This record gives sequence, structure tokens and C-alpha cells, in this order.
Amino acid sequence: MSLQQLNSTGFEEIIYDNCEPCLVIFSKKECHVCKEVVPMLEELKPQYDEKFGFYYVDVEEDKELFQRFSLKGVPQILFFNNGEYQGKVAGKVEEESVEEKIAEVLGV
Amino acid sequence: MANSYDLIIIGGGPAGLSAAIYGGRAKLKTLVINKGTIGGLVDTTREIVNYPGYIQVSGPDLMKDFKEHAEHFNVEFLKEEVISVDFSQEDKIIKTKKGKELSAKAVILACGSEPRILNIPGEKTLRGSGVAYCATCDAEFFEGEDVVVVGSGDQAVEEGMYITKFARKVTVIVLHDEGVLDCNKVSAERAFNNEKMEFIWNSTIEAVLGEENVEGVKIKNLKTGGSSVLTCQGVFFFVGMIPSTHFLKDSGLETDKRGYIPVNEGMETNLEGIYAVGDNRVKYLRQVVSAAGDGATAAVAAERYIEELNYFNSNIVQSDKKILLLFFNVLVNESIEFSTLLEGLISENGDEYKIFKVDMATKKNLAGKYQIEKVPAVVVLDKGEEIKRLDCSMDKEQLKSQLS
Ligand SMILES: Cc1cc2nc3c(=O)[nH]c(=O)nc-3n(C[C@H](O)[C@H](O)[C@H](O)COP(=O)(O)OP(=O)(O)OC[C@H]3O[C@@H](n4cnc5c(N)ncnc54)[C@H](O)[C@@H]3O)c2cc1C
Repeated sequence: MSLQQLNSTGFEEIIYDNCEPCLVIFSKKECHVCKEVVPMLEELKPQYDEKFGFYYVDVEEDKELFQRFSLKGVPQILFFNNGEYQGKVAGKVEEESVEEKIAEVLGV
Repeated sequence: MANSYDLIIIGGGPAGLSAAIYGGRAKLKTLVINKGTIGGLVDTTREIVNYPGYIQVSGPDLMKDFKEHAEHFNVEFLKEEVISVDFSQEDKIIKTKKGKELSAKAVILACGSEPRILNIPGEKTLRGSGVAYCATCDAEFFEGEDVVVVGSGDQAVEEGMYITKFARKVTVIVLHDEGVLDCNKVSAERAFNNEKMEFIWNSTIEAVLGEENVEGVKIKNLKTGGSSVLTCQGVFFFVGMIPSTHFLKDSGLETDKRGYIPVNEGMETNLEGIYAVGDNRVKYLRQVVSAAGDGATAAVAAERYIEELNYFNSNIVQSDKKILLLFFNVLVNESIEFSTLLEGLISENGDEYKIFKVDMATKKNLAGKYQIEKVPAVVVLDKGEEIKRLDCSMDKEQLKSQLS
């Protein structure tokens, strides 16, 4: 299932207004590692239906967002809950580390 | 069986895709298993100027053509990572990370290589926070900042120059004496003339410094032994590649100390039916054009091997006569003499048996299957099942009595 793309406005709404527990992958088109990590998240998403949000930011389309988090590279997966930043994982991450991090954010 | 193939190719870079084109064209049921994006390393290369027929082409575009070409010959693709293999039987078994099990008559290993990790403090923890391995991916995040590049090969120097499009300054840390780079001359000259490029000679990197983000690197001068700190916001590592062959460790496949697979002219490894092509084999030139050549060679060798295998299997299983599998080795005189004796006996006496000669030098798999260590040896098969073994006596009567 493909990930919903966020722009700055969408990002504000989902993260800070709805306070949804979720992850956001910062990615771009010309990046081979992103092309491995994004499909992995797409496959993982259905398992967390309703419980945890999966979103996508294209850093070339929304420069302001990655500047705000002073990111230094793609891909990076940032985790949020209750409108607060909960940490990130960078580079070529495995499915297991994402699952672990989600469990940590959800406090299970 | 849905999961059984004639030919499975592990790796979808130029070597694997070329093998797939030849395999598909030869009408072998062919599968390419590739964990990342199709095209392998080439998919990360902005520009290729030395692939024949293309004066200039982007890596991803070239690989798209390779893949379409393979699909045109009905090659199947599976996006998965192979984590273990069992090459000990005639049917080669391949297991993926998601628990899929596949089998093939022949396997071509085209796994390429991956960046070497130095394992110095800070390298892992600051990955994505200033530590990077791919300029195309990450250079733009260092707009107006200071970047360090580790290494001085083609990749380091060319990628370093690309980073100067964004960074304020790029400092290259070089192991060698002043003026000596490992890259090609054209790139070296361009780098020396690039105002944003600086070099630190006779040095190596000891640690990446910083809490949340990279703040600097610790550099060691190899001549004086002294250490110094250089402030920077980014570090790109280009310190060579290692072959992606670790998952083959317990398969019985031979590799050299660094993990590269030695092969012969036909790309055959030490295991029958297993071939290695492209960057993951021992070779002189690691480029797209040579990877493609390897792929073609291996696929043709695999096709012949499979043909022989099929011929052998159908002749044994479908034969209404009993089969005498006669193992011989041209270097063992006794086995040649015995073979002449047995052949004479069978042609004189009848219809019940058919001889199938097995050369120990080329049919290692069969010898392994029946655990033959000494020649001559004869295994008697009925409809493919072993019914007995002969005592290979040179006494004609004694031999004849075993066959009645
Ligand atoms: C920066 C750079 C620039 C280059 N420029 C040029 C150039 O201009 N011209 C040129 O000719 N060559 C160039 N090269 C070299 C060229 O890219 C390689 O020689 C070529 O890609 C080798 O092809 P390959 O198919 O052997 O391996 P790769 O391209 O490395 O492909 C291997 C594939 O196998 C996959 N894989 C590995 N392990 C597994 C597993 N266990 N399960 C499933 N899949 C797996 C990988 O994900 C990858 O997709 C360059 C290389 C670099 C690094």
C-alpha cells in the first residue's frame, strides 16, 4: 500500500493538530537506498492499520521540512506521537528496527 | 512446481541482467532475485560514458533498457534478499529473508559489492546525521557547509567534485604523499584545479566527532603520528568495496580471503552448476561492459550444463533397461581398462543393461551424489533407483556373474 505524501500543511495537521502516532519517511527520487526502504514501509503499513500512521515527504518538493529538522541525508524515518518528536532512524534500516521503534513509540 | 526454475540469478545489476537476457533467450525458465533496485550499483551512477553504443547515458536509464530486454525474453523478477543457500544437491535451494524457498538446476551469483565500512567511532551512530556514502543522494544537504571525503580512488575524487556543487569546501583525506591520488589522471587534474577541493596528505581518519550531528573528524597523520581535529558538517566515505558474498559462507563455495569468488573461463565456481559473474568474482576489470560479458558467458555455460543434466535424467529415469553408471577418470588407467572390459561384456551379452559413463573430472555432482571416491566404480540403477554396486573385478567371468 503506498504511503500518503505530506506537504508542510499536511505535516502540521497530522503531526501537531491530530497528534497521531506515526512515522514520516524523508526521501527523494534519486536515491537508491530510499528505493529499498520505501517499499519496505509500504509492505509494513497494513499491519499497523489505524494504530500507527505511515507518511512520506519528498525533500526536493518540501525543502522547508527537512531544514526544520536539520536532516543530513535521506532516507530518514522520523517518529512522532502526541505532537512530539520521538527520534529517528537513518540510512538503510531493516524492517525489524522500524518495528521495534514503533513498539517503543506506542509504549507496548 | 511454482518455485522451481531452470536458472536462478542472484543479483539484478548489469551482470545478472545480462545473464538473464541470455537465459531467457535460451528458453530457460529464469528468475532474477534482487534485493534492491534493479540495476545494482549502476542505478546509483549519474553518468556512464564508456558502455559501447551509448556515448553518454545515465546509469538508471541504461539499466532500464537491460531490464526491459530481459523481460522481453520472459524472465521473471523477485524483489527479495537471499539469506542462505544449499548447493549440496542437484536441485539448488535458495532461501529468502521473507521465508520463501526456491529451487533451480543452475544458479548464477551476481551479487556485486557494497561499500566497505571502516568501523571507526562515530561512523555508525552519525550515519544519516552527517555520515554519508552516496553523493547523488545526500550532497545537497550540505549546501554551503564543509565536507570531508575519505579516500582517493575514482569514486572518492569524482563524487568529491560533485559535492563541491553544493558544499563550501571539500577536504579529501589521502593516505599517500602529496600529489598522489589513486584515481585516474583526468579526474586528478580536474580535482587539483577545483578551487573548492583541498587535500590532506599522508593521513587517515580516526573518528567522526559530534553528538547529534557531525561536528568534525579526527585525523591522524601517518608520517608524524600526530592527531588533529578538522571541523566539518559532513563526512563521505569512499574507502572501497567488499563483495556481497557473506551469505554464501557455509555453502562450500570457494572464495578468496576478501570474499571474491574465483571462477574459470566458463564462469564456473568450484561447485557444479554454480556460476559467478560481475563484481563479486575475482577479476581484472570491474565495469558494466565486463559484467555484461560475464553474464553472457555464465548463462551459456549454465544452459549447456542443464541440457546435459536433463539428458542424463531422462535417459536414466525413462530407460526400460537397467543402467550401469560407470565412473571413470582418464588419469586412472585401471578405470579405462575396466571400462573397456565392461563395455565388451555388455555388447556381447544382451539387452538387459545400458552403460552410462561418468567422467569424474567433470561430473563432480554425480560422484558426490553416489559418494564415489575411487574409480572404477559401478552403480546399478533401475528406473533411477540404485539397486546395487558392482565389485569392479577385471575377471570377466566374475564380472559376468554379478550381472546375471
Ligand atoms: C561511483 C561508481 C561509478 C562507476 N562508474 C562506472 C562507469 O562509468 N562505467 C562502468 O562501466 N562502470 C562503472 N562503475 C562500475 C560498475 O557499476 C560495476 O562494475 C557494475 O555495477 C557491476 O555489476 P554487477 O552486476 O556485478 O554488480 P552490482 O551492480 O553491484 O549489482 C549487484 C546486485 O545484487 C544485489 N544483491 C546483492 N546481494 C544480494 C542478495 N543476497 N540477495 C538479493 N540481491 C542481492 C544488489 O542489491 C545489487 O542490486 C562504477 C561504480 C561506482 C561505485
